[in-house]
Amino acid sequence: MIELVDVHKYFGHSEVLKGINLKVEQGEVIVVIGPSGSGKSTMLRCINKLEDVTKGHIYIDGQDITDPKNDINALRQKVGMVFQSFNLFPHLTALQNVTIAPIRVQKKDRRDSEQKGRDMLARVGLTGKEDFFPSKLSGGQQQRVAIARALAMEPEVMLFDEVTSALDPELVKEVLDVMKNLALGGMTMVCVTHEMGFGREVGTRAIFMDEGVIMEENTPAELFANPRNKRTQAFLGKVLAQ
Amino acid sequence: MSFLTSISNWLDSIPVIHQFASPKILASVFPFLLEGAKLTILFAVLGELFGIPLGLLAAVFKLSKLKILRALATVYVDFFRGTPLLVQLYIGLFALPIAFPVIQKIPDFTFYGGVAVLAINSGAYVAEIFRAGIESIHKGQMEAARSLGFSYLKAMWYVIIPQTFRRVLPPLTNEFIALLKDTALLSALAITELAMKARYLSSWKANVSPFMGAALIYLAMTIPLTRLVAYMEKRLAISD
Ligand SMILES: Nc1ncnc2c1ncn2[C@@H]1O[C@H](COP(=O)(O)OP(=O)(O)OP(=O)(O)O)[C@@H](O)[C@H]1O
Ligand SMILES: [Mg+2]
Repeated sequence: MIELVDVHKYFGHSEVLKGINLKVEQGEVIVVIGPSGSGKSTMLRCINKLEDVTKGHIYIDGQDITDPKNDINALRQKVGMVFQSFNLFPHLTALQNVTIAPIRVQKKDRRDSEQKGRDMLARVGLTGKEDFFPSKLSGGQQQRVAIARALAMEPEVMLFDEVTSALDPELVKEVLDVMKNLALGGMTMVCVTHEMGFGREVGTRAIFMDEGVIMEENTPAELFANPRNKRTQAFLGKVLAQ
Repeated sequence: MSFLTSISNWLDSIPVIHQFASPKILASVFPFLLEGAKLTILFAVLGELFGIPLGLLAAVFKLSKLKILRALATVYVDFFRGTPLLVQLYIGLFALPIAFPVIQKIPDFTFYGGVAVLAINSGAYVAEIFRAGIESIHKGQMEAARSLGFSYLKAMWYVIIPQTFRRVLPPLTNEFIALLKDTALLSALAITELAMKARYLSSWKANVSPFMGAALIYLAMTIPLTRLVAYMEKRLAISD
């Protein structure tokens, strides 16, 4: 489904990804952890081509997104992305946020898209909020709209970049619950998150990244409980002490 | 004789006032001035109407990744902001028709040419307004749109530019005010807009009061707009 082959990424002279190899199969839920600055966001952003890789290849359904001949806008539709800062479109209502891409990008019928958009908002628990502008929604609600917006494009994979870390603690659960349901529904997901409980519950594999490389990889339960790598141990020690 | 008429007569008997702001003369030329004002408004509105899309296009070019588009936009904006409108009008309405005589065959060339020069000139200022507006939008907006499969241009059109409207409305209105006043330069091309009308009327009446009348009419148009800008800016400051 997604395959990263020896992916390197430089920002100027600093190498942020130093040869990432990762294969994500259909239905997998990958949990990515690692210290700040280790390159987790950069890796996700490369998968969605918000950053160009410097060297290496990324395949989505066997198509190389680093090949300029491939239509990046078509490939991006297969990959949904949810950001830490929501990035909802403030001039559009919740429903319009969810329907704008199906209508404008996929050229789908407006009525159908709106019906689907309502269903999608219902799926993330936001029935009744269709006509609210983002500024009138709580952080947790905004993030759920953002998830619905990405889902409306019917992506094959969803990327989540610390989607709960900008939220007040009491709003984290409602977003994680939506993600859990998504995982249980069989969605392929790559989640950068430090919510260990969530990772243990729905993750099929956990990855520890540090200094631009994947240091350790295991089932979430195993990686969190018995880290083998010294750096993983140190990192988890710090996270758990919080 | 009514009270107003007697005041008016008394004012007209003072030589300075008679020469400069004679109520009688003002009243008699007012309808003609208004006709000029109509043309002034027509030029300003058409200039702004075509200037906005032109400026928007130039702003998008200026922010493009393609060097050639950026260079094109830079040359355009620098030329039209860096030279006097009067010189641009001379070039567009005197020099070009001499260089390309076919242009002279266009019916109402002076009118369309005047509108075109005003629009192109105003577009250069509008470009800077939109560029600043677009740059003020958080880059996460473009990224979210791109991640949904929007092309760069579609993301601009459906996501970024609509968000700039609130922010660019006050400076765009200011630009319109400036353009409205700049239409007075069209008198150099013998176009009978408000300022030119005032000049004709002044020599016809051998009295400079019509200029005062013209000034009053300009103010009647610009002051409400200036207040509108202040109001919009205040609202924007509150909502930010
Ligand atoms: N656009 C950029 N230009 C230059 N350097 C960048 C850019 N984006 C990221 N970096 C650098 O790349 C490194 C990795 O950043 P990245 O955001 O991928 O880390 P992260 O693992 O997601 O960290 P965090 O947990 O803080 O989100 C950091 O050192 C960061 O400063
Ligand atoms: Mg990050």
